[in-house]
Amino acid sequence: MTDDSTSQDALVIERRFDAPVELIWQMWTIPEHFKAWYGPDGATIPVAKLDVRVGGTRLVCLEISSPQGAMQMWFTGEYREVIENQRLVYTESISDENGNVASASDAGGPEGHPTTTEVRVELEDLGGHTRMIMTHTGIPGDSPGALGWAMALDKLATHVAALGEQ
Amino acid sequence: MTTATDEDRLNETFAALANSTRRAILARLAQGEATVNELAEPFELTLPAISKHIKVLEQAGLVVQGKRAQFRPCSLDAAPLEEISTWAEQYRPVWEARFDRMDDYVTQLVRTQRRDRRTR
Repeated sequence: MTDDSTSQDALVIERRFDAPVELIWQMWTIPEHFKAWYGPDGATIPVAKLDVRVGGTRLVCLEISSPQGAMQMWFTGEYREVIENQRLVYTESISDENGNVASASDAGGPEGHPTTTEVRVELEDLGGHTRMIMTHTGIPGDSPGALGWAMALDKLATHVAALGEQ
Repeated sequence: MTTATDEDRLNETFAALANSTRRAILARLAQGEATVNELAEPFELTLPAISKHIKVLEQAGLVVQGKRAQFRPCSLDAAPLEEISTWAEQYRPVWEARFDRMDDYVTQLVRTQRRDRRTR
């Protein structure tokens, strides 16, 4: 049952939590809990709309404070699999505050780069403890949307690497 | 296990790159060193504004400014970029830090729930 494990570029992180599986499930599905841990350091989550059902939409705002002032980034996506306390799969794309996915031309990234990513969360009940496996993959293809600055960054890194080889 | 420091640095790198002018400056420097004046040329920006962008890039460790003469040419340091060269790996420190916070948060919740149950 390893669907779509053919993707070359995936991030897999496994963790064990000293908490029941129901609580870990809530970390991903209840906005109040999700906001408490999701933002990277120096970031807050002012908005998290999580319509947790297959086909349901999510909209998350990440606000990063930098020396240049606050920067908001919006992400939207769709829930693909929802099996309570076991398995959650959703997609993620950079969007605007209304959930309109950023167009590929806005990003100016190379073709063939994943523009939408998928986050898969698998939970295993270990009797009061929980094993969690999170897989973050790129979805190949030309779906609209973009990873924005991440793509620009890749382009630049590739360019720099090529120069280093000369 | 210097993840906090690593993440701080990564945040700084991303913040530095989250600006099209700064990315353009880096792209220019990828072709060779340049003075602040040369870097300012393609932009409709004042020298102090360009200098500010260069300072941000310098703090992120992406640009090194020379000390010699009054020209102080800038050059690129690609090391921070190499660390985040594949898009999936670039998210690792972000997710690891998130799950550290999730761990702290659930531990706190479990403790509170147990206390509530006892006092009920």
